[in-house]
Amino acid sequence: MSAFATLAPVYSMPAAPHGDVDLPDASSRARLRALNEFLASVELKAFRIAQITLRHEDDACDVVQDAMLQLARAYAERPAEEWKPLFYRILENRIRDVQRRRMVRNRVIAWLPFRRDAEEDDDLPDPIERAPSPVAGPVKQIQVDETMQALEAALQELPARQRQAFLLRTMEGMDVAETAAAMGCSEGSVKTHYFRAVNALRARLGDFWS
Amino acid sequence: MTAQQDEFEARAREALDASVTRVNGRVRSRLNQARQAALAEIGARPRSIWQLPALLPAAGATAAAVLVALAFVANRGPDRGFAQEGAAFEDIEMLSDGDGLELVENWDGSFYEWAVAAGEEGGSGA
Repeated sequence: MSAFATLAPVYSMPAAPHGDVDLPDASSRARLRALNEFLASVELKAFRIAQITLRHEDDACDVVQDAMLQLARAYAERPAEEWKPLFYRILENRIRDVQRRRMVRNRVIAWLPFRRDAEEDDDLPDPIERAPSPVAGPVKQIQVDETMQALEAALQELPARQRQAFLLRTMEGMDVAETAAAMGCSEGSVKTHYFRAVNALRARLGDFWS
Repeated sequence: MTAQQDEFEARAREALDASVTRVNGRVRSRLNQARQAALAEIGARPRSIWQLPALLPAAGATAAAVLVALAFVANRGPDRGFAQEGAAFEDIEMLSDGDGLELVENWDGSFYEWAVAAGEEGGSGA
């Protein structure tokens, strides 16, 4: 669970400023607590999956936020064991939406006679904001960075379905059935995508990781 | 699955997990806020009136009262005004009056005819 999960308990938040507000009974409180724990357990991995795919920090945060909201709005009453595949399915749909919007935007921009230099300036990273958490020493950190950069580059080369199967299975630790539910395909397809992804990554990273 | 594949997957998993722990504070804060917003969405959702069991008896009583009132108004047609209701009460009073029935049973038509004729003659002769 995220270290931030305990900073702002959901029950200490102010009530909504409009409308009749549900006063949660015991079962509602338990469900809220369970959903809070679930979202806290998946949010960082979901962010990394989105970031690896979209290669943009803010876009990754946005899609994770959308997925959280959609899960809370539409599926909070569903059994808790269904939340993970549902959440990752929503997340994947949001990622795909962002990719489609980018494609449309790039096509439109390609037709324009000028480029937006200001927008490019906005994308420059803030070194303070991007300072990593102090969890490893500098040498170890460099090794981790290099390994991760190589892996991310290799993941970018994979077809979307293979990348999705690999990340859900390896990073999130989902089994074949959960991955199939999250991807909306059969278990056999998950196995195929995953097998091909592992082989492609090994072929690409074998020299680097040997 | 081969040992090489297992080793590769373990190494990939380790790298991915390490990258998760290194997510910066700004992103962690944003994700935390997003989670709280999602949970607040549930807390602020207006509850349907049918989901309030405490209100169901009161709602039932109100519905029953409205039905009774509608039945009363529907059975009271427009020709049943207050005056006619008064006449009906008078009819009932006459029928239940014992003296009235006795007068009808002992009807003496000739006496009343003579009294009327005598009155007219007396009136005209005076």
